[in-house]
Amino acid sequence: MNPTRVFVIAAAMAPILVWSCVVQAAEIPSPELSISTAIDRLLQESHDRAGIVPARRTDDRSLLRRTTLDLAGRIPTSAEILAYEQDSASERQLRLVDRLMSAADYAIHLRNELDAMLSAGGNSPQEWKDYLLKACEENQPWDETFRELLAPDQNLDDQRGAAHFLKSRLNDLDDLTNDTSSLLLGVSINCAKCHDHPLVEDWKQDHYFGLQAFLAQTYQTRSGRLAEKPPTELNFKTTSGVEKSARLMFLTGATVTAPEDKRTDEQKKADAEMVRNQREKEGLAPPDELEFSPRKEFVKLALDPANRTFMARSIINRTWARLMGRGLVHPVDQMHSGNPSNHPVLLDWLERDFIDHGFDLSRLIRGIVLSDAYARSSQWVYDTPAPPADQFAVAAIKPLTPQQLTVSLIVATMNPEKIPATDFQQSGVDPNIWKSFRTELEKKASGTARLLEYPGENFQISVTEALLFNNAAQIQNNYLKSSDERLVSFLSNQWKTQQTQEDLHARSMDSLIQTTFEIVFTRRAEEDEVSMFRNYLLERNERLPEAFQQMLWAMITSPEFRFNY
Amino acid sequence: MSLFSQGQWPTRIPPHNGLRGIETASQLRDGTSRRGFLKASLAGTAFAASMHQLDILQSPALASELKRQQKHVILIWLAGGASQLETWDPKPGRATGGPFAAIQTNVTGVSISELLPKMSQRMHHSAIIRSLNTKNADHGGAAKIMETGRAVDQGIPCPDLGAMIAHELGRADSQVPDYVSMYSSTEGRRQGGSGFLGGRYAPMFLTEQMIPENTSRLESLSELDHSARSDLRSFLANRFREGRPDLSVDSHNSAYQRVRGIMSSANLFNIELEPMDVRARYGPTQFGEQCLIARRLVEAGVPFVKVARAWWDSHGQNFETHLELVTELDHVLATLIDDLEERGLLEHTLIATFGEFGRTPQINSSLGRDHFASAWSASLHGTGIRGGSVYGKTDADGLKVIDGEVNAADLFATIFQAIGIDYRKEYHVGARPVPITDFGGKPIRDILL
Repeated sequence: MNPTRVFVIAAAMAPILVWSCVVQAAEIPSPELSISTAIDRLLQESHDRAGIVPARRTDDRSLLRRTTLDLAGRIPTSAEILAYEQDSASERQLRLVDRLMSAADYAIHLRNELDAMLSAGGNSPQEWKDYLLKACEENQPWDETFRELLAPDQNLDDQRGAAHFLKSRLNDLDDLTNDTSSLLLGVSINCAKCHDHPLVEDWKQDHYFGLQAFLAQTYQTRSGRLAEKPPTELNFKTTSGVEKSARLMFLTGATVTAPEDKRTDEQKKADAEMVRNQREKEGLAPPDELEFSPRKEFVKLALDPANRTFMARSIINRTWARLMGRGLVHPVDQMHSGNPSNHPVLLDWLERDFIDHGFDLSRLIRGIVLSDAYARSSQWVYDTPAPPADQFAVAAIKPLTPQQLTVSLIVATMNPEKIPATDFQQSGVDPNIWKSFRTELEKKASGTARLLEYPGENFQISVTEALLFNNAAQIQNNYLKSSDERLVSFLSNQWKTQQTQEDLHARSMDSLIQTTFEIVFTRRAEEDEVSMFRNYLLERNERLPEAFQQMLWAMITSPEFRFNY
Repeated sequence: MSLFSQGQWPTRIPPHNGLRGIETASQLRDGTSRRGFLKASLAGTAFAASMHQLDILQSPALASELKRQQKHVILIWLAGGASQLETWDPKPGRATGGPFAAIQTNVTGVSISELLPKMSQRMHHSAIIRSLNTKNADHGGAAKIMETGRAVDQGIPCPDLGAMIAHELGRADSQVPDYVSMYSSTEGRRQGGSGFLGGRYAPMFLTEQMIPENTSRLESLSELDHSARSDLRSFLANRFREGRPDLSVDSHNSAYQRVRGIMSSANLFNIELEPMDVRARYGPTQFGEQCLIARRLVEAGVPFVKVARAWWDSHGQNFETHLELVTELDHVLATLIDDLEERGLLEHTLIATFGEFGRTPQINSSLGRDHFASAWSASLHGTGIRGGSVYGKTDADGLKVIDGEVNAADLFATIFQAIGIDYRKEYHVGARPVPITDFGGKPIRDILL
């Protein structure tokens, strides 16, 4: 068994003993530091303690690819490679990050990621996607988004879409309870439904039903509006068979007391009738809001300075996991005392920074992608065993999401001359042209993206995907077929214009191979790759367009394309 | 159940060891795994020819793995909920009994519905469970329970029966799919899935057509080019993998490596390759043809095949519906059992029939029966079960279980046990143990060999 594991297990068994030592040993660094400096300093301390030498920094081209995939949701264009290399080496990453975060791609991609994180699966409605897009474009503080997801003001056009988070889960109160807790607070508490949580001291049945009580009154009217019905008692049975009624209780044990229900039986009956009508009949005026709304009370409690650590740490940890391949606390829905982080001080530091700077998600993202930790190589080339994943000493290899993969496929197989410019600093380059092109890419990608599986933990590529890429007509037609729009035709035309003399064949072929590698892999081909492909192509001299298709197919189906590494 | 009880460490195979991210603690403790088995079997050059000479059979753990590898399961999913009263638990002469009689089977003392005359002569291959109480009588929720064997949502996507069996019995380098699922009707169609076990164990899902999608080469690409470009891909893939031991990356490569095998196994789905007399035995119905495909798949080594027959949801006209559907089930199931037996496959193959629930004993005003989950039946046939056995009992009208109540977890534990999978096995998802059988599930020993 590897020693880190033992350590983690020991830590889990005696959290107080072990973790108090660790926490005391490391002082929380100054809030004045930049996020990236704090990350690198604290990880370095952790590596020093564990005797780990991290992987070297990755080369610039692969860092460009990684950062572009993470911030723009696609691979870089060849024009972007050029622009990147024109910047001075020391400023490249900084300028790249600022460029990407100010382009239209950033909000679109972040929206896609938040949609995948928050949606209950299936196709989410346009109103919801638009809501998230706007929140991303405006870099809306996360505490506001949190509030709007759980208690949207439905009289405001720009908040109505947020109601989808709750609406899509109203069929099942258990799903609603657990999703709210695990997606927004980082705590999956459904084990505590039937019994006090078996692994975690923190969670009792009281917490599960306490959380559920905040949401149990929420329903949807026939006209698609979220509403809350007057109070009904929520009872549950403990494992010893005792019937208990649930109190409104937050994860920390903090409770709210609902005002006494003074309604007469007749009023209760009338209320029940009103709710039934609202659920079933069209065209009714929206029901009155409750004077005491349990759901709003929940939001108040969750954002209260005494309790907001849950919502803050959850989104920090999920953002970290998205960019670094694994949470500071792993799994991301198990943020409790039985499953501590290996980097508790770093998490504390990031939490303080996040709250002090107004729950600014983009600031956090920027800080992470500018760190040295983010820029490490994903390759471990030394004789010693690779350090454990939770040390972030080697970059993670992340499967692309269906949307990232498909948008990248379009970009990689497109005629480079048809891609609009992105260097908006230059005069005459209109960001709006790029924005509409990028928005169109999103739409074009959705057909193939729907056929692919969204990566989760322990993600495995299915043979269904491999069969699709091997034999489906739509892969051939959408990405490989010869047409003015596609790279294959560009290569064939280049070949026709370049070859003048027989003895130049090999050289011009090599340059086309290099062009293709730059476009698809964002790097130059190595000598053995060039010779492999040169032979392949020249052997098929008589039918080069097909041979180019096959070369391109081999590249887009290779793991180097399928993963963000 | 505690993570730290019985010395069970949450352990994962280090990535560079191969494909699988999820292994059981017990496999690691006794130092065996399918990989170990594969290595051992590949090391023996004449594996099939002289198995008795191989050392592996001297290791009990490996020998039992070998035994398991030959097992198969065919699940006949009765979508919408079949009536237990018109199949395995008739109540003739009672107010709830309906118009059909019960008939004596070839096993003394066991009677079933007269709609199953052929099966009545094959009870020596069959076991009946009459005491399922699965509590949920809503299609969606109940289907989830009967697909995964888990009554409570675990907060993580859980694998269905097929995915778990594919994981346990499938071979990493298999040339055939390890989980095929056929569902032609649109009513009640659910894809099922492999949950936390990952896409490697997801079903090959057939809906409109009976030949799986994307298993034949596009005409515009020659066989030679199809294979040559795959070699180019492997070249690039192998370069990328240097210094990057990663389970997802490995799964990507193994998925592409399996493509040619799967493509060449596409013929398994083509029943025109079966002799006419065999096709005639199964009959010209779609369900019959799908069960014939299931037999072809099992014969070729596919561990799990699900054939769904829909739509049993007879809220009205229950008796007409069941006259038609049970008669077909009787014929096809009996033919499948005979065919497997003649080919020597029945001793390695378990057939199970059940759906999301049964139907109410009470007959409603449309002469229908409604959803009913508190006292219904399932059947098992073939390997590992005690032929002719009946487990559990409902009261005279079939309203409740009065003896031997079991739930979905017990049924799943029984299926696992029948094909040699340890029903107490645990998966580890991150640090979290998830037992293969839901908490508390126990095999029904009385109907097992």
